[in-house]
Amino acid sequence: MKVKTKVGGLLLLMMVLILAACNGNSEPEAEGSEQGSGGEVKTGGTLEVAYPTQPQTLDPHGTTAEATRDAAKVIYEGLVTINENYEVIPQLADSFEVSDDNKNVTFKLREGVLFHNGKEMTSADVIASMQKWAKSKPELGEHEWVAADDYTVELKLSQPSSLIMYFLADVGNLAAIMPKEVAESAEATGAKEYIGTGPFQFVEWKQDEVIQFKKFEDYVPDEDATDGLGGKKEAFVDAINWRFVPDASTRVNGLMSGQYHFAHMLSYDSIPQVESNPQVEVDVWPYGIEGLVFNKKEGLFTDVKARQAVNSALDMEVIMSSAFTGEDYYNLDPSLFLESQTDWYTDAGKENYNQKDVDKAKQLLEEAGYNGEEIIILTSRDYEHHYNAAVATQQQLEEIGMNVKLDVYDWPTLLERRNDPGAYHMFYTGFSTTFTPHQFVFLDSGTAWPGWTNNAEIDRLLDEINVAASQDEAKELYAQLQQVMWEDLPVINTGTNSRVSGYSKDLKGYTNLSGPNFWNVSINQ
Amino acid sequence: MKAYILKRLLSMIPVLLIVAIFVFFLIHMIPGDPAAVMLGPEATPEEVESLKEELGLNLPIYQQFFEWSLHALQGDLGNSLYMNQPVLDAFTSHLGPTLSLALLAQGVSIFLAIPIGVLAARKRGTGIDRTFMIIAMLGMSIPSFLLALLLMLVFGVQLNWLPVAGYTSLSEGLWEHLKYLILPAISLGTIQAAVIARMTRSSMIDILSMNFIKTAKAKGLKQKVVIYKHAFRNALIPILTILGETFGALITGAVVTETVFNLPGIGQLVINAITRRDYAVIQGTILLIAVTYLFLNLIIDLLYGLVDPRVRLNRK
Repeated sequence: MKVKTKVGGLLLLMMVLILAACNGNSEPEAEGSEQGSGGEVKTGGTLEVAYPTQPQTLDPHGTTAEATRDAAKVIYEGLVTINENYEVIPQLADSFEVSDDNKNVTFKLREGVLFHNGKEMTSADVIASMQKWAKSKPELGEHEWVAADDYTVELKLSQPSSLIMYFLADVGNLAAIMPKEVAESAEATGAKEYIGTGPFQFVEWKQDEVIQFKKFEDYVPDEDATDGLGGKKEAFVDAINWRFVPDASTRVNGLMSGQYHFAHMLSYDSIPQVESNPQVEVDVWPYGIEGLVFNKKEGLFTDVKARQAVNSALDMEVIMSSAFTGEDYYNLDPSLFLESQTDWYTDAGKENYNQKDVDKAKQLLEEAGYNGEEIIILTSRDYEHHYNAAVATQQQLEEIGMNVKLDVYDWPTLLERRNDPGAYHMFYTGFSTTFTPHQFVFLDSGTAWPGWTNNAEIDRLLDEINVAASQDEAKELYAQLQQVMWEDLPVINTGTNSRVSGYSKDLKGYTNLSGPNFWNVSINQ
Repeated sequence: MKAYILKRLLSMIPVLLIVAIFVFFLIHMIPGDPAAVMLGPEATPEEVESLKEELGLNLPIYQQFFEWSLHALQGDLGNSLYMNQPVLDAFTSHLGPTLSLALLAQGVSIFLAIPIGVLAARKRGTGIDRTFMIIAMLGMSIPSFLLALLLMLVFGVQLNWLPVAGYTSLSEGLWEHLKYLILPAISLGTIQAAVIARMTRSSMIDILSMNFIKTAKAKGLKQKVVIYKHAFRNALIPILTILGETFGALITGAVVTETVFNLPGIGQLVINAITRRDYAVIQGTILLIAVTYLFLNLIIDLLYGLVDPRVRLNRK
């Protein structure tokens, strides 16, 4: 009898708990948050960040991996950075001056800036850091860094470049300044010590678990007003626990339970659940473009007509909504740049974007001599949006009579397969926002990037942009380039898209520009 | 006994050799390379090639295997390309969470399974027996991630009693350590309990029908003594086997549970190493897992002798 009652009680408890779980968020958490918006900034506390992937290194010099970029930003700074409109502004430099012939840049360094090891930053550190950073920047060509005095550094280029300042300001491959001895002792896989000048300093890295940062007490902020990634930066929290949480549902649950203040990269399906929680805010931030890359070295798509056939057939709305679920998370836009990137944004080529013209597509396909051969799209379920875009594309191309097969691999295998021109015809990948056209790796034939673009006109325009006398001229040249791109179609840009992060309402001052930023952020609990 | 142990230890050598060869060539046969993963999707082929060169990934495969084996024989399993640390360090630092979780989950499963199994055997054919066996059947069929997410949603998100995910080592206090492990241990242990309870029940039923139990009962011994001293001890051998197997599975990585609860254990280490194509970690970890398994089997075999004196290990 006793046992029966216990079992009954246990089952009842389980049912109650399951009901509680299904009951959504009808009951707000006991701990209310009535703090006013803005006003007093609270200092102290430990910021808990849930980030999906662990970087290989925190040294941003040799990699474009986002996992490195986002974490490295809290400890490192460059000579220059970008403002809200992606324009270049000084950071560790007090000022900079580009010569009229675009071949020399003089940087006046801010005095009194300290590294996390207590040493003052001087031109020797800048030069050692920049020499290390430039090893992965062949686009700089021949160049030299020279110290004029302790606080003045000159960059001398053998060829003029109107883009050099953008390269230096690019957070995707941050030109971080580190102490001379750290830069000089770095290995192929990165620096052995993580010492920068940023508002937080590195404390400890527990592999696959957490990176701990703490407030750098002797941080010397820029005096200018905060703008984009530059201006005044302050560490309001005492520490940041940068936790690696690969499972998307765990990040969501941790955010909803209050265990994490910030969760990066939420799945699109989880957004309604997150939005229903009154304690949590959703942040939709622009990522870049979704690109369908053609193999132009072997097979059908060596013929531009076949590429144009595919482009004519595609209904971008269907592809983008399959990949990114709702129109809040994508934008049907032919540009490679975001609208806020006023230095570059143009809608040139828009007449060739999102045509949905099946007859024209069939006609072009016939002209290209397509004979029903199997067309392979490489894709991976590691990134559902790429996979869903590939499925939608497959369906649309079958409508114009193409025989399309998806080859599905895990992401590392895809990265290898796409180097084999005999293995595929197309693949989807994302390209994050860049600061210059040259950083879209698929444009330049010199990079030999998978897909193997080979267009002399695009190469010529890239060269001309590089030596343009003014930004207006460069922008005009870029508009021509984008027009050529939409005719030659090395890649089909299916549209710009956003990613989603979530954060606690207790978190004040959070911004996202080229990834999440945690300076000027406080926890009001 | 000593001769038996020595013989078993020696027989491990060919097994480990086969595992080492198999894993090395299997992982190198899979496409994908660590340099490309490290540099990100927008890296150019030249950048990838030059990093491969620096990391020694361009050497002929047999040369890589020879060098790796030579070092492994000296106890050096190489360095993780991605984590910049020796494989042995990575393994030991990930072993803590896995070991704690395995012990706790095994505790949960024994605590649930043994009494339930014994009770079901005693009440064979009754409503209690059927109810427990249906629950056990359900337990075996529930995917572990589902139970994990449900527990997380109820006790983490809704009730806020326990943290949703993460890990704190024992050095930071017992409760700090345990609070992160309770939900994963329950989710793993309950499912394991279902298997153990069914085995306990059938083993007990076999024993309870034997003549010596009838004799014990006829002698007028108390029910408790008959069940736990006479029957249970004799039913223990198959239970011990299944306990060994489940513990082996727990310790070598409860991949799904570790991922869902974000425990930095062995399961996560292997999965991450595979997605990063971190060859040294995959090879080293699988080899160490094989060693662990072999030792666990040996310990279980030695325990047979302790539980059942009729088992004489040194005779064979």
